[in-house]
Amino acid sequence: MKTKKKNAAQGGTVRMILKYLKRYHLLILFSALLALASVAISVYVPIRIGNAIDLIIGKNNVDLQKILYILIEISLFILAGGLITFTMTKINNRITFSVTRDMRNETFTKLQSLPVSYIDKNPHGDLVSRMISDVDQFADGLLLGFTQLFTGLLTIVGTLCFMIVLNYKIALVVFLLTPLSLFIARFIATRTHAMFTAQAVAKGEQTSLIDEMVGNKKLVHAFGYEERAIARFEQINQKLYGASLKAIFFSSLTNPTTRFINNVIYAAVALVGGYTCIATVGTASPFTIGMLSAMLVYVNQYTKPFNEISGVITEFQNALACAERIFSLRDAEAEEPDLKDATVLTDAKGEVTFRDVSFSYTEDKPLIRDISLDLHAGQHIAIVGPTGCGKTTLINLLMRFYDVKAGAILIDGKDIRTYTKNSLRDSFGMVLQDSWIQSATVAENIALGCPDASRERIIEAAKKTHAHGFIKRLPNGYDTLVGEGGIELSAGQKQLISIARVMLLSPPMLILDEATSSIDTRTEILIQKAFDLLMEGRTSFIVAHRLSTIRDADVILVMKDGNIIESGSHEALLSQGGFYKKLYYSQFVGATEDA
Amino acid sequence: MKKLLRYMRGYEKECVLGPLFKLLEATLELLVPLVVAALIDRGIAGSDRPFVLRMALILVLFSAFGLFFSVIAQFFAAKAAVGFVTKIRSALFSHIQTLSYEQTDTLGTSTLITRLTGDTAQVQAGVNLFLRLLLRSPFVVFGAMIMAFFVDMRSALLFVATIPVLSIVVFGVMLISMPLYKKVQARLDRLLRSARENLSGTRVLRAFTEEKAQIKRFGKQNEELTEEQVRVGKISALLNPVTYVIVNLAIILLIYTGAIRVEAGLLTQGAVIALYNYMSQILIELIKLANMIINITKALACAKRIEAVLETENSQIKGSETMKGAGEDAIVFKNVSFIYPGAKEPSLSGISFTIKRGQTLGIIGGTGSGKSTLVQLIGGFYDASEGEISVFGRDVRTYGASTLCKIIGMVPQKSVLFHGSIRDNMRLGNPDADDAQIMEAIETAQASEIVADKGGLSYEIAQGAKNLSGGQRQRLCIARALVTKPDILVLDDSSSALDFATEAALRRDLKKLPEQTRVIISQRAGTLMDADKILVLDDGHAVGLGTAEELMHSCDVFREIYESQFGAKEAKA
Repeated sequence: MKTKKKNAAQGGTVRMILKYLKRYHLLILFSALLALASVAISVYVPIRIGNAIDLIIGKNNVDLQKILYILIEISLFILAGGLITFTMTKINNRITFSVTRDMRNETFTKLQSLPVSYIDKNPHGDLVSRMISDVDQFADGLLLGFTQLFTGLLTIVGTLCFMIVLNYKIALVVFLLTPLSLFIARFIATRTHAMFTAQAVAKGEQTSLIDEMVGNKKLVHAFGYEERAIARFEQINQKLYGASLKAIFFSSLTNPTTRFINNVIYAAVALVGGYTCIATVGTASPFTIGMLSAMLVYVNQYTKPFNEISGVITEFQNALACAERIFSLRDAEAEEPDLKDATVLTDAKGEVTFRDVSFSYTEDKPLIRDISLDLHAGQHIAIVGPTGCGKTTLINLLMRFYDVKAGAILIDGKDIRTYTKNSLRDSFGMVLQDSWIQSATVAENIALGCPDASRERIIEAAKKTHAHGFIKRLPNGYDTLVGEGGIELSAGQKQLISIARVMLLSPPMLILDEATSSIDTRTEILIQKAFDLLMEGRTSFIVAHRLSTIRDADVILVMKDGNIIESGSHEALLSQGGFYKKLYYSQFVGATEDA
Repeated sequence: MKKLLRYMRGYEKECVLGPLFKLLEATLELLVPLVVAALIDRGIAGSDRPFVLRMALILVLFSAFGLFFSVIAQFFAAKAAVGFVTKIRSALFSHIQTLSYEQTDTLGTSTLITRLTGDTAQVQAGVNLFLRLLLRSPFVVFGAMIMAFFVDMRSALLFVATIPVLSIVVFGVMLISMPLYKKVQARLDRLLRSARENLSGTRVLRAFTEEKAQIKRFGKQNEELTEEQVRVGKISALLNPVTYVIVNLAIILLIYTGAIRVEAGLLTQGAVIALYNYMSQILIELIKLANMIINITKALACAKRIEAVLETENSQIKGSETMKGAGEDAIVFKNVSFIYPGAKEPSLSGISFTIKRGQTLGIIGGTGSGKSTLVQLIGGFYDASEGEISVFGRDVRTYGASTLCKIIGMVPQKSVLFHGSIRDNMRLGNPDADDAQIMEAIETAQASEIVADKGGLSYEIAQGAKNLSGGQRQRLCIARALVTKPDILVLDDSSSALDFATEAALRRDLKKLPEQTRVIISQRAGTLMDADKILVLDDGHAVGLGTAEELMHSCDVFREIYESQFGAKEAKA
């Protein structure tokens, strides 16, 4: 049952692969024809060389005229063969690179349409490696493997045919003995598989230890753990030594053994061929020395692809595995599309209503339960509560990064699912806790939301957020490259840029996620002023730790374990004497309580 | 390379025997065409069946010996390569432990990890390849030429001409394409970066509805990568056809001149075939050699990087004092300044303060104001650039590293726990701590509910402590520092993930350890209200030192921070 299912999945993958290749079917056909021609030439040339050698019999018994004629013919074939191989390689490169380019582009495009939940759920390193490395490996494995397999098979068939024509008995010897080397290669591969697994396990163990001990060197040092860390490393290192030695040595036996078998076949052909030569001398159809020489060349040509085939098969399996990983991403369900009659939200007033909203990330762990709220246009809403209480989840729902499981969120009286996603998101300005900076110039980073913004507008936005000062001092001002590969900005500077981004767009509603927590207090005060300016008249959701920010809010939502347990103004909540009061006083009065 | 080579010690025998046996195998291979030539000239031409049989048996014998030699060679090569790299890894890991933080910072942690894992693996593969094949290929190429001289002097000259031409083509293509491959790699890295950034910025990009622009950006970079790949592809596509043509043209010339010399009676038919076989062997080996050189260059680059780390000598000189000083002042800073290596501005300048045994020092200030730097100086992670730091009356530099760890218990800002049981983690500083001692520390750190919840001290913490929440991690990190019963406890903003009530309880229980001196960094003014002294840092300068009450009046920065968190009204009250 299981294998059947797996086969079906593989069948699907293969179909997808074929779909990709179909785009280049003419090139592939052409390449296959060229491969056929190049193999034909490489098989034909030894015969002609054998013919030439047969004309070199002994002293005063050489037909130089005929030899010259044959050799010129061979030269032409060789030149043609060179040209054909060159063209074929170029075409194959073109197919490979085009397919990888297309796959990457399409995968990336697909990724942009996947729901945020998908990107949250999958480790980013894994997604990136599917998009880049897997695609590379797939192309290498499949296309290069395919050409190798194709030319290999052609060579096997071609040489076998010629060998049969030359002498079917000798051909039979070769044909019967060759599987022996395949068998031995298989045998070694299966025997060493366990050794490689052991090596991989030891390696993994060592890498984890290295990650921990080197990655947290200060900790190791602070607790005087060095000696014990080295001792642990030493132990794993010795284990890895044993495992690696075994795996490397035993797997390296494949080549010598298959070579040995091939050499024995070679000797067998020399023997049988030699006897046949002697036996057929002077008969009507002699087996000549030139034929024997060609036969010996064929033996080498014939056995070579067999040695490569086991490698090609592993590459194929690898490629198929990569393809499966790529396609599984491609098969992931895209973000729910906008409704057919979705409207564009423009100039939102900013009335937000939560109607019995429930939500959970996983089925078994309900997070938000039956939240209902009525917020008026222009209100400032502070969301407070301990970590993990669902503060950021509210934001995920407002932006439709995730959709509610039950109930509805309404903006200006209409369910947000009836608006187009883009217009909904454009109506919100968002500053997240972890500021995200792209490797690009400062100006490009600020103008993220509207790439056509003039330099004046960018500078104006930066000035309003008090980012202008530090940007001016960067080596190239607004044209300085920042992010990875450029200048590394401090957390505070990154945050200023993220704020400037929103300032530039001045959207009707705001979402600020603990936005000011990593900027030093004094800059923060300036930013606070900028925020006040920005928030004026706009519905704003603020997730904040700072009580001063919270105090100024119109509505405070106190969240605990996924529920809004209290809401109201600062004063009202204090006099209510609930969780909020506890939260507030545990910080403020903490010192006196203990004294 | 020299420095690394000494780790080969103990494997000299393998290093000599490996290549030697490989050469023996190659020698046998070189003799094969001669045997075949004899088989043709004497056996077939003379219709001597027993001779043909004998020659065939010699071929089988050669193969058997060849197999035997090469298995031995593979074993020695594998043993030397794996052993050599195992020793390097050990040395590298131990060496990294001795590096100072200045050096670790300059080298970068991720770099060090790559050196230990990826680079060593490359070196192992390179050494293995080198011992097995690098000597073999030139040997076969030149061996074939020399054998050709034995067969026929005149024809051998053709080999002398062909080998350089082939070498120029093979190595020329390699030399031209190698820098181009680097360019491809650079483009690929950029594409990887874009993809990673796109993922980490998903929310921001969706919020700004930037998906289409991102697709365009990625597409452009992808196209540029493809262009570069095509360029390299064009050049490397030349290699096979050109060498194929050269070798075969050489073979044609060989047969023609051979034919003339046979006609003149100077050469036999078998000899021509032997020469033909030698010429074919050369090409195969040259291509192998070129591939190998590429791999070995890679391994050499890795070896150099490993060597660079090993050559970095610890710049920080540690003292050897093993006893805690007797001074009443737990920590004294006298005009201390500190500049990170390579930085232009000092991170701390002119800091002076004194904390007595049993007192609590609070440190507050904005991001980048130098708070963490200051505690790292106390812990001896870095040496002060100027001024003097003493712990219990002794210069901090005179303490041996292990002594200082016992005196100071650190709770770093990042709550890192290692993969292993809670118990193992708690024993990090003191391997002999028993469960009672551990539980005592855990209770003080308000972490007993975590242990109870997880079912005891044997609970396995996952890699990266992913099975614990931020607050749980922080409390266990505090407990870990308390297990060693340190004289000085340093909390570097390490209660930020705790809710206010838990934090208050923690502070209350810590106070029950009266002998202990505490240094507490916090962003929350509330946390520090009851400290004996608060040091206010701003941009590396001390702008205030005193109790909270004093600072409310004397220090603007402190008041600003306080008011930003509590509001002006309560501040006045």
